[in-house]
Amino acid sequence: MTAPVGLVSELTDEQEMLVDASVRFMDATLPVAAIRAVADGARRDDTGYRAAAGELGWFGFLGAEPAGGGSVSGKGVVDAAVIAAELGARLQPGPYAGHSVVVDALTRAGEPAHEPVLADLVSGAAWATWAFGDDTSVVLGVSRDGVRLDGRVVLAAEVASCSHLLLGASGPDGFTQVLVPLDAPGVTLRPLESLDVSRRWGAVDLTGVTLPVEAVVGAPGAATAAQLLRQVHLAAVLVAADAVGAMHADFETALQYAKDRIAFGRPIGSFQALKHVIADVSLSVEMAKGIVAEAARALGDDAPDAPELVHAAKSFVGEHSVDVMHQCFQVFGGIGFTWEHDQHLYLRRMSADAAMFGAPHWHREQLVATVEAVR
Amino acid sequence: MTSTTPIGIDEFQAAARAWMEENLPRRAEGDTEVRKPWDIKDVPAEEFAAQRALQKAMYEAGFAGITWPEEYGGQGLSAEHQRAFDEVAIGFRQPDLGTLGGTTFHVCAPTMLAHGSPEFLRAHVPRILAGDELVAQFFSDPDAGSDLAGVRTQAVRDGDRWILNGSKIWSSGAYNADIGMCLARTNWDVPKHRGLTWFAVPVRSRGVTMERIRQINGNEEFCQEFFDDVELTDADVIGTVNDGWTVTQTMLLFERGGGGMRPATPTVGMKPDVVALMDAVGGWGDPAARDAAARVHVDDLVRAALGTRIVAAMRTDPMRAASYASYGKLASGVYDPLRANHMMRIAGESAIAWSDPDSPGAATALALLNSRFMAIAGGTVQMQRNTIGEKVLGLPREPSFDSGKPFRDVVRDAANWSGKVS
Repeated sequence: MTAPVGLVSELTDEQEMLVDASVRFMDATLPVAAIRAVADGARRDDTGYRAAAGELGWFGFLGAEPAGGGSVSGKGVVDAAVIAAELGARLQPGPYAGHSVVVDALTRAGEPAHEPVLADLVSGAAWATWAFGDDTSVVLGVSRDGVRLDGRVVLAAEVASCSHLLLGASGPDGFTQVLVPLDAPGVTLRPLESLDVSRRWGAVDLTGVTLPVEAVVGAPGAATAAQLLRQVHLAAVLVAADAVGAMHADFETALQYAKDRIAFGRPIGSFQALKHVIADVSLSVEMAKGIVAEAARALGDDAPDAPELVHAAKSFVGEHSVDVMHQCFQVFGGIGFTWEHDQHLYLRRMSADAAMFGAPHWHREQLVATVEAVR
Repeated sequence: MTSTTPIGIDEFQAAARAWMEENLPRRAEGDTEVRKPWDIKDVPAEEFAAQRALQKAMYEAGFAGITWPEEYGGQGLSAEHQRAFDEVAIGFRQPDLGTLGGTTFHVCAPTMLAHGSPEFLRAHVPRILAGDELVAQFFSDPDAGSDLAGVRTQAVRDGDRWILNGSKIWSSGAYNADIGMCLARTNWDVPKHRGLTWFAVPVRSRGVTMERIRQINGNEEFCQEFFDDVELTDADVIGTVNDGWTVTQTMLLFERGGGGMRPATPTVGMKPDVVALMDAVGGWGDPAARDAAARVHVDDLVRAALGTRIVAAMRTDPMRAASYASYGKLASGVYDPLRANHMMRIAGESAIAWSDPDSPGAATALALLNSRFMAIAGGTVQMQRNTIGEKVLGLPREPSFDSGKPFRDVVRDAANWSGKVS
């Protein structure tokens, strides 16, 4: 068993048990060898994995107890971030951040029409994914039969493995969110080739997709826009946690290599040229863990500084994970350029995490806007 | 152990509060300002004397050296008494002896208590607590900065005296000190860590010359001392002769202890210097300035979060606390200069010339001059990277060329360096 990431310095006993069981499960069920096999074209069936993960509680931290959910520490966002970090460290597939955002959104909306889907998402019977932001290239019309959607979602993580997609659309009452069953007529999934080979990426075309009006989540307009802000924050923290896990694993691998590899009669890690790089990398990893843990805590507490910490976390981790990746690559040298070495899997994962749900500069601009708003 | 029952925590706290209300000015609401070591401005002599008098009054009232032994002038009370005192003390302006106060009470005296002989401690510690004897560190040589054990200032035995020669540098606030805690080489024929001894050098002894160093930020806080045949006695030795490195380890622990790390307190918004600068240059409407300000704010928030994480790590793994503190030091050394650069980019020409010395542009320029302080002082970032690499991450050590042979040969061989290891 590889050691846990240690995103949060002081876990509760229940969190410790959760992490321990989760890490054992990942290492036993989907070790990196299995991830590689899928990347090389092996068929992937998530059903058993998803259900077992649901049993462990992964999908319920942000859900309500009547729906089978519940946090283990009383801080659901922290629980989810801790799991997200372990997923990233182990290159696990699945739309964890987006899925968690959908669970959170449906739980907050509390609408009876979504209860059956929510129960499936919490138990792990199904996965959902989330279209980032207020991209209004989807247009929503209202008709006698319900609502009609036309447009496209250009990128969604693991959409081919999901039963539902929560997307935003511009409608007659303003910004509207709709939970779209991906098997509805008029929905076309287009698988994409991707840099990240540990998760599958796809686009979604919507052509005259007609859904009952109950598919709308929350009240369109300002109320949904406010919910969207919460979703962006949650998604940012969880994907940053995923990247921190990948940073941690990449760094630990490079550290071990620096101790094992001999050149010029010495372990290469004894050379200050590499020792200092590795020390700087470990500082970045510690800082990244620190800010993501603080952001998760603040968001979970609805603290006034939560938005700033979230934007700082996503922006810092986005830039520093990629930098860490480059430095680790340099420590590996030529072996890092081979397919059989794991470092490129982390390179791919971190690069995707950095770009998804808001690139670093986007979060920096949001940060300034947040600060200006409270001045 | 004395036979009297120690004072109860509540009673002690009440007495401390009463004394402070009588003798110390209250801190204004929200005044939690902590001065950076490079921000120290000269305190006029009469004001410094008044602060010394305040320290003496505190000592005489029984509130100095709360946890220090009674036989050395302390109060001999528990850590809980100290905490109770600190709770109250935060609301008042405490006696302010500048950096020298910190060096005296938090670095030098605790090191003396750990290693000094009972006679030494009886002679010095009560005077220290009374503010009569402030202690500067005579630590770095001009020839030995990060290589602490490489000092060449030497004390030579002469009958029952020691004769001190050499020079010390970067002694903070030494111009106000009464004694200097001085690291000197006492044996050149053993490896460098084994021939060192600490002495208490009276600053106004014959043969001691002190100069203040004019710094790039306009201050003159640091001093350099020159020793010409300064006479010392065995009574001035701190710890064991030639075992000075053990004492040094203790001192570094007090010096780095915690590394000034505090858990983050939630605040909303950018730090005042960033806001003031953005306002002054109209930066809010400029995308490049906005991004630079955001980078500063991101790093400020992340560094605070790192502090929280380090404090927690020290709690769960106290054995490695000093090594963890290196992360805080390295973060300051790396991010202070980056921050200064971002601020300079925002400031533009306003940090090049100004009519108002209190303007944000002038402050930005000064911050640039101060920005490498933590990258160099108290062990360069390179030293922190070695500590983190070797002590935290377990990387193999650098080969050492000076730890196995007499220091006399180290100096000679280094001067004839060929790069070949025989």
